[in-house]
Amino acid sequence: MRRLLAVLLVVAVSLAMAGVIKIGLFVPLSGIGADDGESALHGAMLAVKYVNDHGGVLGKKLELVYYDDQTDPKQSVSLAYKLVQKDGVVAVVSGSYSGPTRAAAGIYQRLKTPMVSAYAVHPDITKAGEYIFRVGTLATVQGRAGAHLAVEKLKAKRIALLVMDNDFGVSLANAFKAEAKKLGAEIVFEEKFAVGEKDFRTILEKVKKLDPDVIYATGYYFNASKIVTQAKELGIYQTIIGQEGYDSPLFIELSKNHAANGTVITTDLDRDSERPVVQWFMKEYEKEFGRPADMVAASAFDAVMILAKAIEIAGSTSKSAIKDALYKVSGIDSVTGFKHFTKDREAVREVVCQVIVGDRFHRFWVIDDPEIVTPGK
Amino acid sequence: MQIVINALVLGSVYVLISIGLTLIYGILRILHIAHAGIYTLGAFLGLTFYALTGNFWLALILSMVLTGIAGVGVYSYIYRRVLSKERIVPLVISIGLFIAMQDLYRLIWGAYKKPFALDLGINDIKGKGFVITQHQILILSLTGISLILLYLLMNKTKLGKAMKACADDLVMAGALGINVERVVSFAFFLGSALAALAGVLIGVYENNVYPTMGDEVSYKAFVVIVLGGFGSLSGAVVAGFILSFAETLLVAWKGFLLPRDAIAFLVMILVLMFKPEGLFRRAST
Amino acid sequence: MTLDYLYTLITFSNIFIILSLSLNVLIGYAGQVSLGHAAFFGIGAYTSAVLAVKFGLGYGTTLLLSVLIGGFFGFLLGLPSLRVRHDFLVLATIGLNFVVVALFKYIDFFGGPYGIIGLPAAKFFGKELGTGGYALYTAFWVVIVILLMIYIEKIYLRYGFEAIRENEDAAESIGVSVPLFKIYAFTISGALAGLAGNLWAYQMGMVFPDDFSFPVSITILTMVVLGGVGTISGPILGAVLLTFLPELLRFIQDYRLLLYGIIIVIVMMYQPSGLLGRQGILRKAFKR
Repeated sequence: MRRLLAVLLVVAVSLAMAGVIKIGLFVPLSGIGADDGESALHGAMLAVKYVNDHGGVLGKKLELVYYDDQTDPKQSVSLAYKLVQKDGVVAVVSGSYSGPTRAAAGIYQRLKTPMVSAYAVHPDITKAGEYIFRVGTLATVQGRAGAHLAVEKLKAKRIALLVMDNDFGVSLANAFKAEAKKLGAEIVFEEKFAVGEKDFRTILEKVKKLDPDVIYATGYYFNASKIVTQAKELGIYQTIIGQEGYDSPLFIELSKNHAANGTVITTDLDRDSERPVVQWFMKEYEKEFGRPADMVAASAFDAVMILAKAIEIAGSTSKSAIKDALYKVSGIDSVTGFKHFTKDREAVREVVCQVIVGDRFHRFWVIDDPEIVTPGK
Repeated sequence: MQIVINALVLGSVYVLISIGLTLIYGILRILHIAHAGIYTLGAFLGLTFYALTGNFWLALILSMVLTGIAGVGVYSYIYRRVLSKERIVPLVISIGLFIAMQDLYRLIWGAYKKPFALDLGINDIKGKGFVITQHQILILSLTGISLILLYLLMNKTKLGKAMKACADDLVMAGALGINVERVVSFAFFLGSALAALAGVLIGVYENNVYPTMGDEVSYKAFVVIVLGGFGSLSGAVVAGFILSFAETLLVAWKGFLLPRDAIAFLVMILVLMFKPEGLFRRAST
Repeated sequence: MTLDYLYTLITFSNIFIILSLSLNVLIGYAGQVSLGHAAFFGIGAYTSAVLAVKFGLGYGTTLLLSVLIGGFFGFLLGLPSLRVRHDFLVLATIGLNFVVVALFKYIDFFGGPYGIIGLPAAKFFGKELGTGGYALYTAFWVVIVILLMIYIEKIYLRYGFEAIRENEDAAESIGVSVPLFKIYAFTISGALAGLAGNLWAYQMGMVFPDDFSFPVSITILTMVVLGGVGTISGPILGAVLLTFLPELLRFIQDYRLLLYGIIIVIVMMYQPSGLLGRQGILRKAFKR
């Protein structure tokens, strides 16, 4: 009798297990990064829904197991063990910032569990090992693309540089500077500012006196909305070039007097794309969560889509098979135009330049020269 | 010229936030970190009432009154019960309260930054080589009015004099027949209402309101009250402007050598080394 | 298998036990409230990271130098504390925290905003410790630090420290050299925070400026006060509690931080001397 019960239990458990494939996600849902965390979570949830509505993976449904890391590397590290060992996820998406993501990447590598980072930008994240991938565009690629945008498309000769003092801002600025110089432009001004900085008027005054052709300003949407607002106040009408950090509807909303208009950014998310998955994503996201999607949500969506595809290619839920399959993923339904991973596990995609007109993002230019968009070149 | 205007606006905000802290510190000797949470509450209430009524002035007053009441609540339900304990106890309570408040705002109003779009219909003042935006005019004038009213309140009314007496010596003031309880509650009300004013103004000026907007304020305001000499109102006002001018001028002269916060704290540490009691020592103590 | 999760939590909890005990030397014994303790933690961690990654020094050397340099900076901060008192000191230490983090971020030698990555795993006799081994290793240091605390509490230092805590002038009048004792306290405290920094750096394999920012100082102070200032068991309990609490509260997902804050407020209101403080509820329960 006892043996029968035991057998029944095992059967019941394996039946329940058979139905789902678990994917882990760690995101900041409280504290300082809670807004980006929420976007990433929503993006990932939508991808799980998309995959399941299209028949799941290997005949099973995807299930998302997520935890709040409070942007705290202590928590992301212990969560890594929890997700892999306790929850038994087969792969993980990072929807968190660079610090927690880089700290956790080492653990996932050690546990031989594939991790795909959605939008964390630290260049060393993927160096943790063969199991660690990044779906966001490497900052060096974006900086390089920004330089081509400035010099080739916008014909700038003299450029002013505003640099945010974290890994994101500094990586972008360094790549931009090197490429812009190579293309023959001159950097006439460079100034670092803190992530929380709110008053750019004083340095913008200096920029104005130098009268550059364009301003390349690294930053997040909340810095950027202040930069464009205050630049307009001071009567600076040169084009301001931004990057994916600007890519949020909030950039436009938080800028005063429609100051965001005319800004050009390099990003992953092409809102004007005719591809059905993009249209579905933009529409469904707004319907489901009551606000327009941003770059963070799109990146998390793609991270899950990529993992789903990899599991399908692997034909099993073996972690090393999924890892091997990740190197082969291509041609998937992706919102950010993801093509494939390089051997260094960085994403290759076209860099989309968007311009803000009439308080909306629109396609401006597309950079697809492999010399520019391939990481590591 | 532009630099002076920028510094004046920045200083106004520092001053409005610090007044509440100074009042409270002056009387109770509490490092009221949760004041930054009160400030955030003010901003959110202002935004909410503005969205509901469409009348900015009504929203501002409602927010100030309600936030003031919330401040009194913090005093009478929490701080009042631990005043006799070691000074570190209210400090830690204040920290816990601040954490809880910020998370509560996130649960109520959401994690995303919210725009606070306000058009007063005033034109920006544009001069030769400078511009004062309508929101800067709003901040400068409301701060000016508040400071004048505060001056009159503190020096011409019985309540103001009672507050001063309490700040000088709480026990003595009680012995002299001043209703200490009422005076302290009023100090919390006034300080919190002014923090709400600052919150709304910053919300409009920066065009955003969000749950963690108090983070920076939570420590920055202390720089002001330290420089001001801990508990001296006029000291806090002067120190607020000194700090804003020091920051702005340094940025104009040298750029961002270090983040603003580090600069502010460096100034504070230097001042403390040479004047361990702050720039403006309270005359009475 | 799933024990690794527990082991990492224990390691973090051990590191924070050392941090809160070291802060307790300042607050509990010398009466000097610091809200910038994470600065020393960071100095210790960065010392290890720089020495290990940039100069390739072995674990023993980095450990020793983290402690020494942490102690040295503690000593340096002790000097102004002779002039700056009470709440001014609290604010000065907050300031110190911001300045130290800003320097980590702005000076390229310290890796700037990228931090320093790639610390090798700590090796003992040529062998790497697993997560369990490292937890045990940090526990070893906790035991050493506790023994040191008992020593400090028992031996004469206690005399001096206690006197400063109660009343600096009275301490002077009975012949206790206040400046000397303050400096001792700051130096010991800095050295132990340096030790914690070393343990952290090797646990994470990397250091980032923001890991040592002001909120971390707040957490350490809260641990000390919540557990019970001036005791040994108090800060230990505080550290264990506040390390495990966020994990234990995972089941309420969205309300976690809110509850965390509320718990701190309630404990402090009803247990103002800390859970294991002199009048703490747990202390009484144990005595009975």
